[in-house]
Amino acid sequence: MAEHGLQVGTPELVSVGSIAFGPDDVLFVADTTRATVLAIDVADESADAEAGTSNAFDLDDLGAKLAAFLGCADDDVAVRDLAVHPRTGNVYLSVMRGRGDEAIPVLVRIDRRNAELSELSLTDVAFSELEITSAPAHDDERTDVQLGHGPDAEKFEFNGISIFLTRPHIRSATVTDMAYVDGELIVAGMSNEEFSSTLRRIPFPFTGEHADTQLEIFHVSHGMWETASPIRTFVPYQNGASILASYTCTPLVQFTLDAIKPNTIAKGHTVAEFGFGNQPLDMVSFHKDGEEYLLVAHSRHPLTKVACRDIDVQPALTEPHEPEGVPRDELDVPGVVKLASLDDAHVLTLQRDDAGGRHLRSLKTASL
Amino acid sequence: MGAPLELAWVEDHGRACVRISGGDSNGAITEYLAMATSELARTLPVFATELVDDDAGRRVPAVLANQLQATAGEYHADDDGITFVPRFPFLAGRSYSVLVGGLGAGTALSIELPAAAGGPTTTVASVHPSDGSVPRNLLRCYVGFSAPMSEGDAARCVHLVDASGDVIAGALLEMDPELWDPDRRRLTVLLDPGRIKRGLAPHREAGYPLQEGERFALVVDGGMRDARGHPLAEGARRDYDVGPDVRRRVDPKDWQVTSPRTGTRMPLVVGFDRSLDRALLDHCLAVVRGDSGVVRGTIGVRSGERTWTFVPDAPWAGVDHHLVVDPILEDVCGNSVRRVFDRELADREQDPVTSTVVTREFRPV
Repeated sequence: MAEHGLQVGTPELVSVGSIAFGPDDVLFVADTTRATVLAIDVADESADAEAGTSNAFDLDDLGAKLAAFLGCADDDVAVRDLAVHPRTGNVYLSVMRGRGDEAIPVLVRIDRRNAELSELSLTDVAFSELEITSAPAHDDERTDVQLGHGPDAEKFEFNGISIFLTRPHIRSATVTDMAYVDGELIVAGMSNEEFSSTLRRIPFPFTGEHADTQLEIFHVSHGMWETASPIRTFVPYQNGASILASYTCTPLVQFTLDAIKPNTIAKGHTVAEFGFGNQPLDMVSFHKDGEEYLLVAHSRHPLTKVACRDIDVQPALTEPHEPEGVPRDELDVPGVVKLASLDDAHVLTLQRDDAGGRHLRSLKTASL
Repeated sequence: MGAPLELAWVEDHGRACVRISGGDSNGAITEYLAMATSELARTLPVFATELVDDDAGRRVPAVLANQLQATAGEYHADDDGITFVPRFPFLAGRSYSVLVGGLGAGTALSIELPAAAGGPTTTVASVHPSDGSVPRNLLRCYVGFSAPMSEGDAARCVHLVDASGDVIAGALLEMDPELWDPDRRRLTVLLDPGRIKRGLAPHREAGYPLQEGERFALVVDGGMRDARGHPLAEGARRDYDVGPDVRRRVDPKDWQVTSPRTGTRMPLVVGFDRSLDRALLDHCLAVVRGDSGVVRGTIGVRSGERTWTFVPDAPWAGVDHHLVVDPILEDVCGNSVRRVFDRELADREQDPVTSTVVTREFRPV
């Protein structure tokens, strides 16, 4: 793990949010309270998933099992994210156990072969971390000073005096989604103050410097209005060349990673809208018969399948009409709140039933 | 046959642990004392359970059948009992059971960890905007609490209600995770931006969540839990009138800057043309003295976030000063110095501004 710049120690995780696998055994974990991203060597000792074989993985009553394992009630367990180890096929969950002063972040590994739960211990693990902000730590006295020489200070001059402006509030950012693409961790964030869209491209291994690129992405509605909005969830496709993102204001917007360069304003291309009262919750890509597709889970609408080739030929939405944008299939899979790629033939879902029970269920991509 | 097994709370390893003992040296515990840890985990698994009254009035676990996973922890046996040290501290006010004999054949022994001491004391300390009137396209509110809060209750406990007291459905954006400040004392509440932005489907289908000329209130339910798990001492409510939309950039040129008097520590008073975002006002404005740099002082915000005051630590000098404005500063509708929240492309007046900072000059008189 030395090649990834990881060092052995015990990270001080305060909270857990999004997780995503990177190269080898590296799991990226967002600590939303500390506005920090960690790269952790999960040292998964399970045998490699056998090439060419594919088995569904289902685990009923995951919520009750997690509650029992963590010694708490079902509603004390908040499952923040779901990821599948690309080599071993084991399932990883980021979980907040308990609330308030009692809340503890836990990374749980579920053995693909026997469904056994274990805790991913963070004592003496190889890891590195990067604050995703240039801001002082929140116990730093400088937080009430808005002008100074911070590492990311913007310089401006008048009357021959140079003033450096730093923006400490960015420490209040939260990570809404992450993905690893070809040597870079892509992090979508949201502030609890200003309303804007920030996407960071952070080179990995982390250099410790603020080498990341921050970008604003706008989307255009019907050729008439242009807005910035935080990205809620996103998925890379076409080997990371393209990104499909959903915003807090619900449209699905496509942009290419190439278009996102420092000091530019990227404009996304709105390809679909899902209407009132609905939020896209998670997305995943999969292949079937040589074609790439995306699945989108929603808070209110059914699970939706979109063909990537349709996204690429979809003209930007210019006229309001129903249904909005790219053709899509609605699938009869209720209650999906999280999605992850399980293997070449399956997508893993976290589903919530009407009684509040949570289950892991595999979907066969061939039948989607 | 000795005394039956019993459970008790003991403090061990710095946390509450379950002590399993048998009352005396001939007690039922004896057969377990020699077991290896892995065997103990199988024969005395611990579960977090809800307790219900059975027909005989005993407190018994509500569900065990589908709980095929025992609580993570370690078993420590000594001369007369076994202590279960949970990996994750047991939670106050919850009940736990030991399934003696293991899954399937076991008999449950149960015990409840007392709820945290003390009662509800946390209150809502502030609700922003603090002005009595807000634009129809209001985007953001803040609820401040007197003590740190728990996450996860916002969607259940924070609502907008109309004049007749009914919850305005779909007005607020549900966030997971919720948007808290690092101290968990200030919750950011967003109105669904899809309903405010012109042209988007939610806006066309459902329209604005607020109606101009009608009253509404932001309501915080008293059941919202603080970081200790207690509900609020009382709920809170702030009433608003709804005024017309505001869809213009925040322009410092429109502000009224009242110069203070030289040689005094009178406040610099800046009057805005509208209510600005309360949180951003804390760090988006600064005072710079033309010949020497940043002026240290104390910020104040009042008049429904329409006035910003600055009292310098040292008396004002009679030289040029600059009020420096970070262009991310927004009003309550999400319009910033840089851009209109939803810019109309055909209107060149709404084109975004690219400068990194904006300044207003003033000179103490």
